[in-house]
Order: sequence, then structure tokens, then C-alpha cells
Amino acid sequence: MSALITGMGAVAAVGDDVPAIFDALCAGRSGVGPLRGFDPTRFRARHAYEIDDRPQSGEDLTLRATRWLEQAVQQALTDAGHDGDLSDVPVLIGTTLRELRSVELSWRDDVPFDLRDLHFGTALRRRFGATRTYTVANACSASLYALGLAADLLELGEADSVVVAGVDTITESTYGMLDRVYPLAPEAVRPFDRDRRGMLQGDGAVAIVLRRESDGPAGGRPHARVRGVGLNCDAYHPSAPDAESIASVIADAHRRAGTKPAEIDLVMLHGTGTPRNDEAEAEALRSVFADDVRSCRMTAIKSMTGHTAGASGLHSLVVAVRAMREGRIPPVVGLVRPIEEVAGFGLVADRELRAPVRTAQVHSFGFGGLNAVAIVEKVM
Amino acid sequence: MPDPVVVTGIGTAIAGVRGVGDLLGPDPVRGDDDPTDRITGRGHRYKDRATRLGLVAGEAALRDAGLPTNRATPPHLDTGVVVSSNLGNVDTVCDTVRTIADETYLATSPMLLPNTASNVIASWLAITFGLRGVNLTFCNGPTSGLDAVHWARTMIRSGRVERMLVVGVEPVTEPVRRLTAPDRGDTPADGPSGPDTLFDGAVGLVLEGAEVAAARQARVLATIDRYARAGSHDEATRAVCPPDAPVGLWFPPERPSGFRLHQAELPSAVRAAAELDLTTVLGRSSGALGVLQCAAGAAWLADGGPGSVLATAGVGAPTTAEARFDDATSALVLTAGASR
Repeated sequence: MSALITGMGAVAAVGDDVPAIFDALCAGRSGVGPLRGFDPTRFRARHAYEIDDRPQSGEDLTLRATRWLEQAVQQALTDAGHDGDLSDVPVLIGTTLRELRSVELSWRDDVPFDLRDLHFGTALRRRFGATRTYTVANACSASLYALGLAADLLELGEADSVVVAGVDTITESTYGMLDRVYPLAPEAVRPFDRDRRGMLQGDGAVAIVLRRESDGPAGGRPHARVRGVGLNCDAYHPSAPDAESIASVIADAHRRAGTKPAEIDLVMLHGTGTPRNDEAEAEALRSVFADDVRSCRMTAIKSMTGHTAGASGLHSLVVAVRAMREGRIPPVVGLVRPIEEVAGFGLVADRELRAPVRTAQVHSFGFGGLNAVAIVEKVM
Repeated sequence: MPDPVVVTGIGTAIAGVRGVGDLLGPDPVRGDDDPTDRITGRGHRYKDRATRLGLVAGEAALRDAGLPTNRATPPHLDTGVVVSSNLGNVDTVCDTVRTIADETYLATSPMLLPNTASNVIASWLAITFGLRGVNLTFCNGPTSGLDAVHWARTMIRSGRVERMLVVGVEPVTEPVRRLTAPDRGDTPADGPSGPDTLFDGAVGLVLEGAEVAAARQARVLATIDRYARAGSHDEATRAVCPPDAPVGLWFPPERPSGFRLHQAELPSAVRAAAELDLTTVLGRSSGALGVLQCAAGAAWLADGGPGSVLATAGVGAPTTAEARFDDATSALVLTAGASR
């Protein structure tokens, strides 16, 4: 199977479209800031990677995630030269927390919220006439998992093109519980650094338009080709990852794509800055790549976007696609003293690296051991 | 034609329901038992109600299909999970924000963190039964259950797995009662199930490729046939009901007040069908409805019911501008099990 990416859109704390996000990441500009969305007296943690679109600090609105999703989808459609009518185009939306922030506001603060907006199909019907919509609640790998489902739909002939999206907003319940998890409150996400304290969440949305390659050109130059997407489940622990299972999903992605680790120029790491993720991810990568961990470049954008949860996999993917086009790889910021497990890895740190990227591997792992890995390549 | 996908197991976790035949009505289901009491083993302290209900129904479905229910070594790489639930984890989210407001983050439990992510039910199903294939959760509004069955079939057809465990579940918890109450002041009635009550329970289905089922000599209850998700009920039913394939039994969607749906306006193949509204049998079941419809429909077909079964969920909206109803209707047809 191969499918072409013909349009991309995204919003995040670091920028409100794909070029702005990519430029910010290459400049090493982080979206982290002081916590604005929730009453700070209720928490120990003080930081988050928020999209600052609330009327004033401490006052929150419902349906912010839905609005970002609409923006990202609109950008992707415009980019693809699509007329914006999605009545016959499946839309898969990956998310961890749906509109649960709106549920929190409704339940505790009596802010009006219609439960029909808990899934994103309602808004996408209203805005784009979309009816084949699916809210896929697959934790932090949701949007990359959804990419795998979209590839299957194209391959089975159930659709000619599909919109794949991801969206999440920080909920107060997850922010509070995460604050109980780490010994010290993180001030930033620092993937693979010895002094990392843990993960901080980020707001964001992302969307791409995907079409079957065998249908021939549809006008315009496609951004990139999706060669294959591996999906699996650890069936091991509700939150801790399993290195062996991650290694097997990386191998599965290569098998589907018909590629080998030696062909990979860039790995977009999941890199959440938690000890468990970073160690399991490094171990899995080393077991599949062996010495090839030295020759390929790697980066982890959560160091600047925060963990955008259900959107994070596709956020990494659009950055990889942009890196192919521009020959620039954003750095991991805050990576000063790498952990032993990544010794010898081609991690890009400090500043952007100018290097050609032809084939990239994108990682996304989530609670429940949900793993998705995609292989994308430049369209020559 | 691709290999058909068939139903080989059904399990329920519903108070008062002892066998899937009880779903076929016509009487409302009653029962004082709590199906989560049937859960076995240890380590369930931090699981939410939806997860416990899902585990009971999932185990019953696997057993009904003649499949192992323990974590196997090696694990079941070729079996995946798909869950449908809209309200499954709102209790954890609501209770936690209340706790934060009253007592700060210090009073929250990090052990409940996985429960804030809406995939927690599917996650525990995979862990408990050792199912390492694709693992999906659909929170897709009123159509979600039928959508989950459709995606289970898609995963089998695409070759990602041989078999899928499908679970539809909705729990009744205090946040669910309040959030679903029409005017937020009243809570839905207690007592026997009916259109004014909320469904509290789960149902599981095992789906597999017909060849895989035949190879292990599994009993085939029904075949998953055509599926569509469209903007209106009329459009969705027309897409799956050709005139020459008479429907014997129709499961209608939950109808919001003010929405009328007359059988006479359905496609000709459906007009002579018997109608069974599971909302009147079991209460309002949201994301569980489509899976309940498929379970009841499969049981009916396995019992020799004539014609095919049509399940519709979500009433849709006649036009995009009509915002009062649902965003779409999903329609799915079940036919009798493949002859062997």
C-alpha cells in the first residue's frame, strides 16, 4: 500500500499553522509557559504547553479542542486544494481526551455543554457536511493509529481519500493526577536528558488529507508518501510501555513499508521525557536498528510542543514531512546530558541540523500499550 | 468477494439478563443483580465501572466462542479489541475535578490516571485476556456501537488480525445521570428498563473471518453484511437495504423526543420487518446500542429468524443545518451464518 499526503494543517502552542510550527521548532522555540488555564493554587506544577486563546487567565471556555480541530482540518483541505465538502470523505479523529475538558466545566462549574459535542462528528457535520466521521479514542497514539486505519480504508477500496486528524486539550483531571506522579514538578519536557522530571501536556490539533496513490495524480504536488503503518498493543500494563512490543511494531511498520532500518534518515521519537518511555523507546530502537542508530538522525518535538497526546503522532509526522521538503531537522531542546540508553544515537540537539531527509520513521505510543509506527518518504 | 466476517460468540453483563435471548424482548429487562459481581480474580480496585462491566461481557463472549479467557503464552497476536462507549470514563474525570477544587491535586489518586484516557476499557480487555492485536476505542456518539462492529470487520479484512473482540458498554454513575438528564435537575427514573431509564451494562461479540472460524469448527451465529454511515436515517438505510433482500427484523435507533421515524417511510425491503426497539427493553444505551443490536440480531438469526436483520443507530439529521438531532445514522445488516 502507499498513499499520498496532499494537504496538511496544524495548530499547537508554538504556532498556528504547519510552516509557523516548523519554523519555531527549527529555531528551538518552546511553547512552554506558566499555567494559565486552571487555578494555580490547586497544583504544584506551574507549567504547560497551552494554546493561549482564553479570554483571560483562569477563565476557561468549552469546545476549544473542537475549534482547533476545525482549524487544522480547514488548513489541510485548503492546502490540498479541496473544496471543503466532506460529505463523502471519511474523517478519522484521534484523541485521548475528546471534549472531556468541556465535561469538566459542565459538571463542576455549570457551564452549558451539549453532550452531542463530546464526539467530534457533530461539529464536523456542521462545518464540513462530514458524515463518515469517527472519533478514535486511542490515547496518545490515537492520530497515528488513525493513520493506519485510514491506510486500510484506502487499500480495501472503501474510500479514495481520507482526512486523518488528531486533537487534544489539557484537562484539569489529567493535569492534577500527573502532578501526583513525578517526584518533582517538571518545568519543561526534556526527552532523553538525565535531568528530565517527567511529562507536561500540550494543546493542539493536526490534520492531513490522504489519497490512494494508484488513483494517479490529482493536481498539485503531494507532500509525501505514506509507505506503511504498523499497529499493535502490548497487553501488558495500563500505563507503562513494553520495549519488546515497541520493537515488534517498528519491525511490522518496516515489513508493511518494504523498508529496512538502514534506509531511515530521520526518526521522530515519541520522546515524552518520562523515564519509562525514554528507556523503553531507546531499547526497542536499538534492538531493531542495531548499529543503524548511529547513522540516522533523531529528534523529539515534545520538547517544544509538550505532549499533545492524541495529536502528537501526526504532529511528528507533519514535521517529518516538512523536514523532507526543507532539508532541516529541528533539535531536541533541553537535551544536555543524554541518558546512557541513547549513547551513540544520532540525536539532533541544541540547534537545527541541515541534512537531506528522504525516508522518516514516526513513533507514537500511548496508555494501554497502544503503539503505532509510520514510515513516510519524500515524493521525488 | 472477500472472506465474510462472522459472529461466533456473544456475552452479556446486564442485570437480569441470563442469556442473549432475553434481549429479544418484548418485556423490559429487570434484575437486582450487579453483573460486576461476576468478575473474577484480583487487582480490580482501581478499575472503573465501565471497565468491570466490559471485562465480564468480554470474558463471556470469548467463552461463548470457545476461545481461551486466560492470558496465554504466547499471547494472542492475531486477536484485537474494539470498544464502543461514550460515557465510560466521565466518572473519573468529573470526580477528579471536584476533588481538585475541594482539596487540591494532592487528594487525587495517580493510580486512576489511566482511567482518564477514554481507551481504558479496551486496554484492560487486552491485558486481561492477552489480546495483542490492534486495539481500538470508538467514542462516536449514538452510532458508535455499529461503527465499532464495522471497524472490527475492517481490521479482519485488512489482515491486521484474524479475530476481534467487540465490546459495547455504558455505565450508570452519578456524573452520567446528571450529565444526561434533560434539564440537569432531574435524574432518569429508576425501576424496570425503558425509554426513560439509562442502560447500565455491557455486551461482547467475537468476530472472525469465516475461514478462520471454519478451521476451528466454531459455531457461526451470523454474518456481518453491508454497513453505511450517512447524514440521515433514510440515506443510511437505503445504502444497505436493496429492494430484493427482505429484512425480517429491524432494530431502530434511540429516538430523541420530537423525532419521528415511521416504518412506512423506510426502504421497501424493511416495511414488512418486525420492529424491536432495544431502548424500551434495556433503556437508553448510547455507545452500547449498536453492539447490543448486533448481539440480539445474531441470536435471532441463529434461532432461525427469517430474512436479514437491520440495525440502525443515530437518527441523523435531514440537513446539515438541522442541529437538533444526531450527526449521522449508521446502518448495518446481519445475515444468517455462512452455510457450512
